[in-house]
Amino acid sequence: MSGSAPRSVAELQAIVRDNERVHAVGNGSKAALHHNSRGAAIADLSGLTGIIEYQPSEYTVTVGAGTPLRDLAAALSQQGQYLPCDPLMGASATIGGTVACNLAGSRRFRYGGVRDFILGAEVVDGLGRAFRVGGKVVKNAAGFDLSKFLVGSLGRYAIMTELTFKVFPDAPSFGSLRFDYGTLDEALRAIYFINQSAFELDALDMMPVSDGWSLLARLAGYDETLPQRVERFSAAMTRETAPFNITELADSLALWDPVADLAGGCLVKVALSPKRIPAFDAKLAGARRRYSVGGNVAWLATDEVDALDAALQELALTGLCLRGAVESALIGAPIDNVLAQRVKQALDPQDKLV
Amino acid sequence: MNRAFLAALEDIFPADRLLTRDVELLPYESDALTAFSAKPGAVVLPVNEAEIVDAVRLCHEHAVPFVARGSGTSLSGGSLPIPEGLTIGLNRLNRIKRLDPQQRIAVVEPGVINLSISEAAQPYGLYYAPDPSSQSICTIGGNIAFNSGGAHCLKYGMTSNHALGMKVVLADGTVTQFGSESVEGVGIGPDLVGLFVGSEGLFGIALEITLRLMPQPEAYRTVLAAYDDLGRAGDAVSMVVASGLLPGAMEIMDRLAIEAAEASVKAGYPDAEALLIVELEGESIQVNTEFERLQGIIEQSGAFELRVANSEAERARIWKGRKGAFSAVGRLSPDYIVQDGVVPRSRLGEALLAIGALKEKYGLDVANVFHAGDGNLHPLILYDGREAGALEKAEALAGEILALCVNLGGSITGEHGIGMEKRDYLPAMFSEEEIDIMQALRRSIDPKEIANRGKMFPGGEAPALQLQGMHPLEKAGVISRE
Repeated sequence: MSGSAPRSVAELQAIVRDNERVHAVGNGSKAALHHNSRGAAIADLSGLTGIIEYQPSEYTVTVGAGTPLRDLAAALSQQGQYLPCDPLMGASATIGGTVACNLAGSRRFRYGGVRDFILGAEVVDGLGRAFRVGGKVVKNAAGFDLSKFLVGSLGRYAIMTELTFKVFPDAPSFGSLRFDYGTLDEALRAIYFINQSAFELDALDMMPVSDGWSLLARLAGYDETLPQRVERFSAAMTRETAPFNITELADSLALWDPVADLAGGCLVKVALSPKRIPAFDAKLAGARRRYSVGGNVAWLATDEVDALDAALQELALTGLCLRGAVESALIGAPIDNVLAQRVKQALDPQDKLV
Repeated sequence: MNRAFLAALEDIFPADRLLTRDVELLPYESDALTAFSAKPGAVVLPVNEAEIVDAVRLCHEHAVPFVARGSGTSLSGGSLPIPEGLTIGLNRLNRIKRLDPQQRIAVVEPGVINLSISEAAQPYGLYYAPDPSSQSICTIGGNIAFNSGGAHCLKYGMTSNHALGMKVVLADGTVTQFGSESVEGVGIGPDLVGLFVGSEGLFGIALEITLRLMPQPEAYRTVLAAYDDLGRAGDAVSMVVASGLLPGAMEIMDRLAIEAAEASVKAGYPDAEALLIVELEGESIQVNTEFERLQGIIEQSGAFELRVANSEAERARIWKGRKGAFSAVGRLSPDYIVQDGVVPRSRLGEALLAIGALKEKYGLDVANVFHAGDGNLHPLILYDGREAGALEKAEALAGEILALCVNLGGSITGEHGIGMEKRDYLPAMFSEEEIDIMQALRRSIDPKEIANRGKMFPGGEAPALQLQGMHPLEKAGVISRE
């Protein structure tokens, strides 16, 4: 496996032109993605870092694809802003890897995911062409929106070198609560209640606990009104969803990292909708798990990947392994689609990018 | 039109849903960009998915170009017929197939009217967020094709951000599905929903769309601030943004637009050089706190008058003038062109000054109405089509405004799309290589280039510009151009 770390777009173009197969890597924080790169030359993007343009008043930021998330988050937070798709921080994860794998944390619940905040990108495709997709302003409807296409594309259609996002002002203060229910069904019904209410939650996760199921809910806002809003929300939940216990929690970053408690084994992400959770969960008794984003994303830690793979196939769901010894990072139902294949033909006809 | 093709169409569509006579085709000759018109070879009106797919497959087989059409409200000429091509009218596929309030989703057919989704969701405390001004008549299929926006895009995004999944027929007749009912789609794999939305009908036709619904905000606070200087209204927007507030909408109108709105809908607006509308939305406790902050900012911004809507009726009145501003301008002038460009928000002032100078240069009036929160300008260029060369002059002025938007780092379209109107300006924003790549992508999906042929990309045969005045629905105040 040969590797090189391009310092410029031109150097990356040369790598793509000079090799039969190319596999893009950021800081390698999602190990499971790099086990099966088919003998490809490695394009290590960790050199393409830095904040290229940040105008807080425009709500936009442009960064090198190899920029570590923590650097981006720090720059935004200095201006009281954040990336609302809430990238999963990890130890050293890059923003390019976050887009390529479509990874968002719990706070994605409030305003949307990676697809909702990406505005544009500079890329190098499988023919070694460097070009721009999308735009740099918060609103733009010109041309095909290939920037959204990049979200979840695993670097297989074009390699991102620069990315532009929409950002928002962050809230100054947060309040978190835990609601405990006896059964999964009760916890899901509480989610459905919240979904049809006017409470604006910053995040909403659900997980099995020893004596049933817990919902974790977070509100964001101003210091002076947050306690009142938390109280009002808590009262409505008591009235409408009858939890057997309510606990106010100390808010922390760790509390809202959906994978913080899922160390060990393979770490897998699965997208689903809340109503599919009962059938899904029934097949997963052995896996440690947390349902994030109001029950739209499942995070699992398991040592039995083959069993999970089979269960996902049966349910026609696809999983992405981020960590663990797996042959392919993609498990469960295949994601091949004719439209994606057509894009591949246009951008990478020789199937260089793997 | 090719006889074999027509005969095959007759096998699919009964005579009352296959239109070929001149008198039947006439209503389909233009969309809301009335400066263009073209006669389609035929119009078909499918009533189910299978008929759409069959029609597209026939077009592919016979290499006949086609365009899908909903209510024909495209402002960029996106649903303009292709001369001698097939127009596929989708208004009859207007069922909301499923509404799941617990998961906040709606599954709809492409001919469903935008507003009717919010109406169906209303009893559950939900609504469909994107609100183009034509929402009482425009269809979701068209919204998908052009990634339609509206006044509330800054906070919750455009159509693309509210489409979760879809089933489509590609231009070569292949039927495929992507996305899911999860807000996270299928979780991994390229975002095909994101790619399809905004493809302006060049990839194919959406047959079924899964949309995300949003909870109705508990409270709104809507304010109207009057300024004696347009620049000061622009500065106020920057001050609001800098304060960390995230309003649902921020809109600016200049003097000419205000006067037109006043003359037309009598919204009771103050006599001012510029009006700023800011709307906060959310949980009432939170909105009240935000409102106090907003009031402080507006006071500091030099507004000479501040009005606050204290009831839903007062809120509706503030919006009435804004929403009706475009058709109102139509009363001031026999003809006008609506432009749709984007500039970085911090350069709004610069853009307005430059538009003022262009106005002088061309000797034409321009009314400005814009979504200030996201830098989306809608200059309305007034002209009299009866004067020789007036339309060309107005077009030239419109072109300079687009060039200005690109030079300031923005975009040639925020929400109307390229369509027919702006295809020659695409090179102002993208390099030759970038356009080549987009065309290669198009050909890999549609090798015969039959889907909405002649739109988005520069060149090709263009129907001559014509003078048609306002769209009949626009004259009636049903639709408006923004």
